[in-house]
Amino acid sequence: MMPAGDGTVPRPPGPGRRLALDRPAVPKEGLDHVPVPTSHLTLGLVHGRLLGPDLDLGLDLAHAHAHAHDHAPFPVRARARAPSPAAEAPVVLPRVSVRISPDGRWIASASADGTAKIWDASTGAHLETLVGHMAGVSCLAWSPESNTLATGSDDKSIRLWDRVTGSPAHAVAHREDAAATATMAMKGMAGKRGRRPRVGVPDEGVRGGKTGRGPLLGHHNYVYCLAFSPKGNILASGSYDEAVFLWDVRAGRLMRSLPAHSDPVSGVDFCRDGTLVVSCSTDGLIRIWDTLSGQCLRTLVHEDNPAVTNVCFSPNGRFVLAYSLDSSIRLWDYVSGSVKKTYQGHTNKGFSIGGCFAVLSDADDGFEDEDASEDGIRRQAFVTSASEDGDIVLWDVKSKEVMQRINGAHNGVCFWVDVHGSTMVSAGQDMLIKVFRHRPRHVPVKREYDSSSGANGVNGHHDDYLPDAAAADEELQRTIGADAESPSPQVKEEQM
Amino acid sequence: MNLLLSDDYLLQDYPENITNTIRSGHSTCVRFNRKGDFLASGRVDGTVVIWDLETMGVARKLRGHSRNVTSLSWSRCGRYLLSACQGWKVILWDLRDGKRYREVRFRAPVYGAELHPWNHLQFAAALFEDQPMLVDITEPIEVRYVLTSVPKRTTTYPDADAAQREKQAKEDAKNMTTAIVYTASGTHLLAGTTKGRLNIIDARTREIIYSEKIAGGVITTLRLTESGKELLVNAQDRIIRTFIVPNLSAPDLDPDTIQLPLEHKFQDVVNRLSWNHVAFSASGEYVAASTYNNHELYIWERAHGSLVRMLEGPKEEQGVIEWHPHRALLAACGLETGRINIWSVTTPQRWSALAPDFVEVEENVEYIEREDEFDIHPHEEIQKRRLDQEDEDVDVLTVVENGAGLDEGVDGFRMPILFNLGESDSEEEFVNAAPGTLRRKSPGDNEDGGNVTGEERGSGKKTAGGGAGRRGRKK
Repeated sequence: MMPAGDGTVPRPPGPGRRLALDRPAVPKEGLDHVPVPTSHLTLGLVHGRLLGPDLDLGLDLAHAHAHAHDHAPFPVRARARAPSPAAEAPVVLPRVSVRISPDGRWIASASADGTAKIWDASTGAHLETLVGHMAGVSCLAWSPESNTLATGSDDKSIRLWDRVTGSPAHAVAHREDAAATATMAMKGMAGKRGRRPRVGVPDEGVRGGKTGRGPLLGHHNYVYCLAFSPKGNILASGSYDEAVFLWDVRAGRLMRSLPAHSDPVSGVDFCRDGTLVVSCSTDGLIRIWDTLSGQCLRTLVHEDNPAVTNVCFSPNGRFVLAYSLDSSIRLWDYVSGSVKKTYQGHTNKGFSIGGCFAVLSDADDGFEDEDASEDGIRRQAFVTSASEDGDIVLWDVKSKEVMQRINGAHNGVCFWVDVHGSTMVSAGQDMLIKVFRHRPRHVPVKREYDSSSGANGVNGHHDDYLPDAAAADEELQRTIGADAESPSPQVKEEQM
Repeated sequence: MNLLLSDDYLLQDYPENITNTIRSGHSTCVRFNRKGDFLASGRVDGTVVIWDLETMGVARKLRGHSRNVTSLSWSRCGRYLLSACQGWKVILWDLRDGKRYREVRFRAPVYGAELHPWNHLQFAAALFEDQPMLVDITEPIEVRYVLTSVPKRTTTYPDADAAQREKQAKEDAKNMTTAIVYTASGTHLLAGTTKGRLNIIDARTREIIYSEKIAGGVITTLRLTESGKELLVNAQDRIIRTFIVPNLSAPDLDPDTIQLPLEHKFQDVVNRLSWNHVAFSASGEYVAASTYNNHELYIWERAHGSLVRMLEGPKEEQGVIEWHPHRALLAACGLETGRINIWSVTTPQRWSALAPDFVEVEENVEYIEREDEFDIHPHEEIQKRRLDQEDEDVDVLTVVENGAGLDEGVDGFRMPILFNLGESDSEEEFVNAAPGTLRRKSPGDNEDGGNVTGEERGSGKKTAGGGAGRRGRKK
């Protein structure tokens, strides 16, 4: 299996062109599948089936990227700090983002054509296309109730969308307010209109933000990362203008601007109780902020100072996971300010690829009947990451060992991986979004087949269980090829 | 979580200066929820506004009263809010959908209504020139129990003549309950009367089990600490008193031996100030009071009974004040403008937090070089050594609660995020002055120009205080 895009295979058009950094040829044995012990196969995330990415999305994204190049080229930042062979080359961070909603039912994907799409996580059906941004969308965030989606774009704006209607979340208020204003004017209030707050007047550099209608404006450059607070009342955004903004979601008002970094802010996240915000940047710093006071409480920096491209809190909020461009993921204890673990085995040198923590409980493994007690549930945590060779890699948090590697999940770069419960979704340079599901250890393979095929009306493309990773990989590639030809969105099933 | 990173975060446990000013209409009373993330404010026009303290923005508006809101009370879970107004009405709001959950009408204006601390379907109300009521709204038709304000007589005169009895009855009739609160367990009610008496009422039998004259004037405010062990009483005799509340839920409680020892008396003997409203701090360590005809807020320490701070704010008399349930934060309503002023602590940025290699030192420290500090090792070796050191066991799942203990039971409800709050802002600045004419709500706002929205707030920096002051001077 040759991963696409490693220098020998011509890379497909699209996000690859944004990559000004030519990735050096990496020894193939380091890239290709690390042999996965069988014990890991049984323990780890074995994706039971693969919901086929549908044709629509692939085409849209393909179109999108070409489009984006004409109008919104990604900036070239010559702040390469990573001591990589390509250090003199500018580091740019293109991103295709995909996120599962907190309730696990929806998948949102951001696209460089300025739209975002919402998909049904269980069927793969395309539900909504969110149109409104004037440039490519590079980040997404779901509100905790899964009702609102925030998108950040290269047009410097952030938009909030109602998941159900697919329309801007503030639009209703806008319309009603306009109506109210009109009514008032008819009631003889016209004379006092001058004293009314003028809608859309810049206030501290915020246009539209103060009145809460339309997009959230305020960033001076591309909005690159977003995160909702656990209560959903605050939205944090990081931008190429090197600042982190905290927004009052209800009013659409800029609450606080954190003078965060000296390079584009590449990642933000809230901790579980919402009192801390973490931000990271290609300047190599990871900063922890107090949400209420807006003060920096801690700065984490690695000795080698690699550019950090993505960051998230651990599920208990006690650690910070940072993805950096030296092909390492580091788990920081932010209280002591030290690196606790370093996860390696993926490739990450030019893109700001995404990943997150994955937590599997016994219930996901089909143990729920045996172990009914509430606190007796064993939970296991993984670190997941996309890789620039198209793989998806999963590590055990404690042992730092690669638990599973999904070889060639995407052709070219795999940009983003998000996990919710037993569902994993990934987006890649091949303009596909793939959904993986954990196969419970204690559920027979056959049953899984039956239930899913019954529910989804699979087109009969069944494959036998393939225990061999390489064979499975091959099978996967074949499926993708088949999908690209299939005329309508269909659900495919795949065993690995 | 942020407590993990802040060593000196809570050094100062009483507020210092104005950090925010928020306004929606003309607020007359405020109340924090138990978790301390929301502040409810009641307005002159009867609207109840819920503020999110994290964003200092409006989270919800509740419309249902038509008169001045006089009191607010949150349920333990933070989902229900009881509001009472001068329009003889008490409404229990469900904040999940912002609808009226229950509405109870009385035959008099309501001084104040308080929810049972554990049961949101029961509340006590003090009524204007009427007997206080205990209301059970479990059933669709509420059950009202009339409580008495008549003090308990320790001695009865069976042989007393009619004239004496009549005299006593006349005196009793002058006792009106002006403030009523539940004890922490909810088994008893504490009621203050116009004659300065404190009555302890058994909530089950609805009888007064204890009665004593504790103040020389009308009792205006009764407040308990979270633990319920201390009672704060404000009366019109210009003295604020604190009492130690006995354990009323003890099984062997003998009503005849109840004692309510007086702990402190706070007063300003020089200026002879009287107090608009009083509040306990989070732990009961401090007592804060707003002053009548004066701009300052006074803060006393309860342990020694000493005045620790006089908070200056805008040049405006402050009405109702509230102390945040666990932070050093005070909210007070300006009587004139109806703004809610928030005093808090501003912590300075620790510069060492911005640069991990730097530490803040008090004096010069001689640097001692490590033996191997400038040794040169191959990069791979350093990397390998680093990775080998990472043998520590990490737990990324188990949540460690940091002693704050705020999460028990109050964590259950999450208020939905609303986007359409703006729709009502256009009208709220105006009130009907006469048929067909409207005027701006707050006279002070006319000078503010066109850039003041319905909800204004300070920037959260020190300039906010200055801004508020500037506005104040303009008038």
